[in-house]
Amino acid sequence: MATMSEKPANVFGPTLSRRQFIKAGGVLVVGFSFVGPELLKGDTAKAAVFKNSLDPTLLSSWVEIHPDNTVLIRTGKSDFGQGSTFTAYRQIVAEELSVPVEAITTVVAGDTDRTPDGSGAFDFLGHGTPNIRKAAAYTYQALLDLASEKLGVPKDKFSVKDGVVAGGGKSISYGDLVKNQQLKLTIPVKGDLTSIFGLTIEGNPPMKPVSEYTVIGKSFKNSIISSKVAAKETWATDVRLPGMLHARVVHPKTLGSTLVSAGQLDKTKFPNSQVVVKGNLVGVVAPTEWEAIQAADQVAGGTKWTEWKGLPGNAKLYQHLREEADWTSAPVEKSKTSKGDVGPALESAYKKLSATYQLSYMKHAPIGPTMAVGDVKPDGTVHIYTHNQNPQALRGEIALMLGTTLDHLIVHSYPGPGHYGRSNGGNAGAEDEAVLLSQAVGKPVRVQWMRADDMQWSTQAAVSFSDVQIAIDEKGKLAAYQIDHYMPAMQDDRPLGALLAGLPTMAAPQVHSDGVTSTVNGLEDPWVYAPVPNVMERGHGTFQVGQKASPLAVGLRDHSMRTPGQFQQNYPRELAMSEAAALAGADALQFRIDHASEERAIGVLKAVRDASGWDTRPSPQPDAVSTGSTPARGRGVSLMLRSGTYWACVCQIAVTPSTGAIVVEKYTIAVDPGIVVNPMQLKRNVEGGAVMGISHALLEELMFDESGITQDDWNSYPILTMADIPEIKVVLLNNPKVGAYGGGSEAANALAAPAIAAALHDATGKVIRRLPMKPAYVQALLKT
Amino acid sequence: MWFLGREFSMVTLNVNGVKQEVRAPDDTPLLYVLRNDLELIGPQFGCGLAQCGACAVLVNGKEARSCVTPVASVANQEIITLEGLPARWAKQKGLSAQEAKSTLHPVQQAWIEEQTPQCGFCQNGMMIKATELLESNPHPTLAQIKETFTTSGPSPNLCRCGTYVAIIDAVQHAAAIMAKGR
Repeated sequence: MATMSEKPANVFGPTLSRRQFIKAGGVLVVGFSFVGPELLKGDTAKAAVFKNSLDPTLLSSWVEIHPDNTVLIRTGKSDFGQGSTFTAYRQIVAEELSVPVEAITTVVAGDTDRTPDGSGAFDFLGHGTPNIRKAAAYTYQALLDLASEKLGVPKDKFSVKDGVVAGGGKSISYGDLVKNQQLKLTIPVKGDLTSIFGLTIEGNPPMKPVSEYTVIGKSFKNSIISSKVAAKETWATDVRLPGMLHARVVHPKTLGSTLVSAGQLDKTKFPNSQVVVKGNLVGVVAPTEWEAIQAADQVAGGTKWTEWKGLPGNAKLYQHLREEADWTSAPVEKSKTSKGDVGPALESAYKKLSATYQLSYMKHAPIGPTMAVGDVKPDGTVHIYTHNQNPQALRGEIALMLGTTLDHLIVHSYPGPGHYGRSNGGNAGAEDEAVLLSQAVGKPVRVQWMRADDMQWSTQAAVSFSDVQIAIDEKGKLAAYQIDHYMPAMQDDRPLGALLAGLPTMAAPQVHSDGVTSTVNGLEDPWVYAPVPNVMERGHGTFQVGQKASPLAVGLRDHSMRTPGQFQQNYPRELAMSEAAALAGADALQFRIDHASEERAIGVLKAVRDASGWDTRPSPQPDAVSTGSTPARGRGVSLMLRSGTYWACVCQIAVTPSTGAIVVEKYTIAVDPGIVVNPMQLKRNVEGGAVMGISHALLEELMFDESGITQDDWNSYPILTMADIPEIKVVLLNNPKVGAYGGGSEAANALAAPAIAAALHDATGKVIRRLPMKPAYVQALLKT
Repeated sequence: MWFLGREFSMVTLNVNGVKQEVRAPDDTPLLYVLRNDLELIGPQFGCGLAQCGACAVLVNGKEARSCVTPVASVANQEIITLEGLPARWAKQKGLSAQEAKSTLHPVQQAWIEEQTPQCGFCQNGMMIKATELLESNPHPTLAQIKETFTTSGPSPNLCRCGTYVAIIDAVQHAAAIMAKGR
């Protein structure tokens, strides 16, 4: 390796410098180093460059340009079905580099030793500037520098098309440009590698103007779909290592039970199995999967646990939250958009709405239960093979649990069943158990949770309730809006196996926990009704239910789920807005338009009005009826701003009063993300979110008693089936003047609930202020 | 027969047109034999209770849930997994060996054209179900498609990502491809 030159060149931002050209391997690889390890927070992430990590000071960290004109990109973000890494990311990089999308032949995602930035698998588009876009933009500038040097033409004379740099009568392809060259760049990167947000590229490289986009906006196909459909993709579930054993975990009897004695294995029936006990963690390991399952069942039958009753149970949940939960230890959060003085306005209201809205716990409920393969090597190196939304965070958690350092950990990331946020804090459930069992038996171990494990031992989306007060003036306008959101800590990132085994792990959610794991309830639902003069939005937080009472420190653990926190806050707001419109004698959709000033908010409302055939009039509808066996029909609307995208949805429903059964007949949704990167992928994401949202709204409620979760399968926790889906209409509003692309994978799942509830009011004249809207609850409401 | 201290049988399985002997206890669910012994990765473990459809295969042309099907019960029966769909179509259409190599089953083609999967974990079962449907009803109505994926099997075929709309689009697309003959 010969250093050809070394000269600093301040390209963009204070710390970008070209340091050296190195003849090595005939590949130009452009990577960026950390500004310095001191920027990394957390004990386990101090060293920026260590073994089994992608050395971020090497040129190959983010983008590789190869002599054959192909491009490789790397991202810490794992795909969870959104498809962004295989569609939008390739389009974004292709755009910034001015190469065809097809030139980006390789996407490396998730693996902790092969990707640079970490972070949870959400907000892929980063409000228009994801890391990968900046990496590509820096790379583009580096390539122009290289071309300028090679061709003797000033950089500003170049234009690039299809990976060919041309200017001053000369031209050269990227491939030829990089032959026998290696460029080393340093750019500023900050953040915490093993946190939920990972690392962020800093600085402001020039980016291609939106007006010149040719690749973004087209429906390129998701490259991983072909291999999945043809059974050619290796899923996490397919990983088989030499000598690997299968395991099942015998989880405790209740969410607070400790182990009295593990059951004896019947060696006559299961001669090849063994039981592993570590604290309250009981695992059964066998050479074949079927023996592991049967042996675990047999051992479970003989395992004795202490009894525990420390949960309020479903029936008393809201009473517990209202009267017994500690809402005083966490500081009350107040939104930045709170303004004016709601007090006097509420006092002097012409009409007033005071109401409480409740949401139940919901499960992420992936189609496949969580699984992982752990492989603890004799030298202390630990490999984990799994489907995880934040492999770097998992790496940090396992290092903490084992008392080792990050350089000993490698997390290999594979496709798996989507679980919608459950592991974006680093674990979905089985990973740490697989590691502990592998450590105990000295062989690779595959832990597969069964359906009941996944229902009863995974985290859930947090329960919440909100108190709303709204004042309407004599002109029918909102004079004051006040909302108080109450929700237990919504993100518990502690790995279950570490808790059961009594090994070191992070603290349970508490007031002063870091960011998302704190008990503080932040405001997550951006205010979109700017003209309202008096606004007060507050968030009240507390500990998870059962967290302190459980001897295992387990209880009902929460974790963010698709549209986390905002689902819990947007549902009460939007249903209250529809109720306020009714109180004012106004049409619910027009009422929103009249209280919005942002053009894009009004735009999605008008779009969804036109596309749904909305009839403008107040609710309830003139023929509203709350009795009888003839279906009553109604419609409702909802609005949300999330991740730079405006969303509005209209649900048209039929409800049969005598049974309480709601059928959503038509679902219309309008989306303005700014720039639409890939219309087909966005449409599919939105449709999926819509279906999940109807499922949330109508069916999903965690059931538990004083000891634990009582649901254990799809019959006891039903989700929407194909027969239940309405006609779904998606309206995409491409809005390039926004200049950025907003997120498209969340929000849709939250919009249905308030719209369906408003539609129920429209149809029957009665308001249900709890989720889900199960037939029994609707029936009971309509009888009142 | 005993092996490693457990009672095993030799079962002859006919999977994707290949006959092979597997050694497993009679009650072993077919799913584990397919995945762990035959290294066929199409069928997935979703619930182990025949409640979701992720593990589906065709047994004698009918959708079956491999997670609750004892391996001995399907000895010598015709089992087709997702991996076997292209060859099944090639045989039905009399495609040459050369053509067959580069041809996916129309259902698979349509699943790609319509960009149906999100996470894709359930889609094995969805494609198996669609194949079963289209072999008996080449032009299903929307109502028939919904019925097929909801009430015709041991349980609804569940998709947590909510791709039902995309599945319906793909079934209709596959029907069109099949009507054209390739």
